Amino acid sequence: MTRVTFTLGAILSARSVTGDTIVELAQKHKNIWAITADTGSSLKEFKKEFPERYIDVGVAEQNVAGIAAGLALEGNIPFIFGMIPFMVMRACEQNRTAVCYQDLPVRFIGTGGGLTSGAGSTHNAMEDIGIMKSLVNMTVLSIGDPNMVRDIMLLSMDYPHPLYLRLAEGKKDRMLYEPGKYDFKIGKGLTAREGKDATIIAHGEMVFEALEAANLLAAEGIDTRVVDMYSIKPLDKEILFKAVAETENLLVLEDHLMDCGLASSISDAFADEGIYPKKFKRLGIPQVYAGFGSGEELRKKYGYDKTAAAAAVKKMLTPALTAA
Amino acid sequence: MANQKEVERLQDLAYEMRKKLIHLCGSYEGPVHIGGDLSMTDLLIGLFHHGMNVNPKDIKDPARDRFLLSKGHGAVCMYIAMSLRGYFDYDEIVRTYGQLNSAYGMHPCKVQLPGVECSTGSLGQGLAIAVGMAFSARLKKEEHRVFCMMGDGETCEGEIWEAANTASSYRLGNLIGVVDRNKQLMGCFDDDYIHLEPYADKWRAFNWNVVEIGGHDMNQIVDALDSLPPSNCDKPTVIIAATTKGKGVKFMERNLAWHAGALSEADKEKAMADIEAGYAQIGGSK
Repeated sequence: MTRVTFTLGAILSARSVTGDTIVELAQKHKNIWAITADTGSSLKEFKKEFPERYIDVGVAEQNVAGIAAGLALEGNIPFIFGMIPFMVMRACEQNRTAVCYQDLPVRFIGTGGGLTSGAGSTHNAMEDIGIMKSLVNMTVLSIGDPNMVRDIMLLSMDYPHPLYLRLAEGKKDRMLYEPGKYDFKIGKGLTAREGKDATIIAHGEMVFEALEAANLLAAEGIDTRVVDMYSIKPLDKEILFKAVAETENLLVLEDHLMDCGLASSISDAFADEGIYPKKFKRLGIPQVYAGFGSGEELRKKYGYDKTAAAAAVKKMLTPALTAA
Repeated sequence: MANQKEVERLQDLAYEMRKKLIHLCGSYEGPVHIGGDLSMTDLLIGLFHHGMNVNPKDIKDPARDRFLLSKGHGAVCMYIAMSLRGYFDYDEIVRTYGQLNSAYGMHPCKVQLPGVECSTGSLGQGLAIAVGMAFSARLKKEEHRVFCMMGDGETCEGEIWEAANTASSYRLGNLIGVVDRNKQLMGCFDDDYIHLEPYADKWRAFNWNVVEIGGHDMNQIVDALDSLPPSNCDKPTVIIAATTKGKGVKFMERNLAWHAGALSEADKEKAMADIEAGYAQIGGSK
């Protein structure tokens, strides 16, 4: 296990954390398997130590989902490692019918969330949360902090349902939470920064972006709360409505299509509960195939980086400027 | 050479099962996938009553052979084959089939019907799931086999061949595919548009052990099941069974209109008469 001293914002590869953690899990549990469709770069240690529990089927994602279902039917806990668009979309029906319909404890560990792949629209993952959250029995998590990734993988051992864990590119993730200080739970979000004027709700890699936006706003005297809504389904309604009650102004910031990601889940929660914030704004990927560029460049291009987030919060708080 | 007493016992069961299929099809107001049920009737009798080591009294016995019905629309055929083996009550199947809250629906559901190993119905998905089960058995050093019953039509699906590739690459000798090769899809015959031949060669090219039999010849079914290689061998086996969709009922055989359907009282009588005649032809005396 890679041990790195905690510094807020320091970089650690979540992908390597998943590789280390699956080895740690397999040492303790004989029913842990790792399966991949030719994307097992983080699994070098696992395949060395547990070759009989490592399956690489070549480029065949539907097959991966089916095999995982078969393993789970026999009491195993299979972890699928893959690139999000293919794991989620090529195998969508297998994920639904072979895994979710039978409510099997398959874990989907996906890398390349949002526009972080750097490989263009074929490899970008902008629909995955919308697709996965619509599958009955599926749990959807989006995590940026590498240590949280480890904790969630460990606690998933006792979780009897399918679980999707969305990571960003997974190579240079920001540490946000000091290990051991937080109790991460499925169905819970956490307050990454306190604030009373407005709340930015984000998930995954965008939480760090939101914290930076909050820093920009603080310089202008605006006290911004940041909520890390790492559990998108089930959604933490308690932390959501607490933010509504205490800060009134809400901005959702996400590296996903705005139309079917966290922002839409939050809108659904408003409608379901009949409780609404004073101001609500969402920033994320618009209806566009985004093209080439780094995650940072594309976030800036499509208006959902820290600068855009800070501007949006400021606008919410200054009605006069909105009118002008 | 198959034991003749055993072959006759199985033929009697297949005869009884065909009559039960027709009775159910005639009792239910909606369509039943009777064509493909009749094409795999002999195979399922051979599997559940002879070839597979199963125990209806202990459906979770780790040593049991596993059975997946990849062609899930043949659920009725599986329910009845299993009811004849003692898993389910046939009268309850007839009484509740397709009704609200019934465990017996058009496609088998593991969650609602314990004894079913896997929920299926979306074509082409069964083999990959069977591969996962075979991996698990091998790791646990269990000697049982995993049987996966496929329709030939669903082997147009890419996932079947993805799974076939994995099974032979990982030398899963405990995996047995059975193909109901009735040369019909839902809306067309094999060769109308798509050509599945050279079918056995395709499986051989994927490095499977291939056994070709007549799927309505109980001697050949028993021989094939009796001479399967040991489950720890290094090649998966596929039994390709040449069958006839609607087998045993003349107006259904090789008739595209009978992929699925409901039976009138008159059709039901005609079908029963055909089945009895077919049974007499093979010398049945039950």
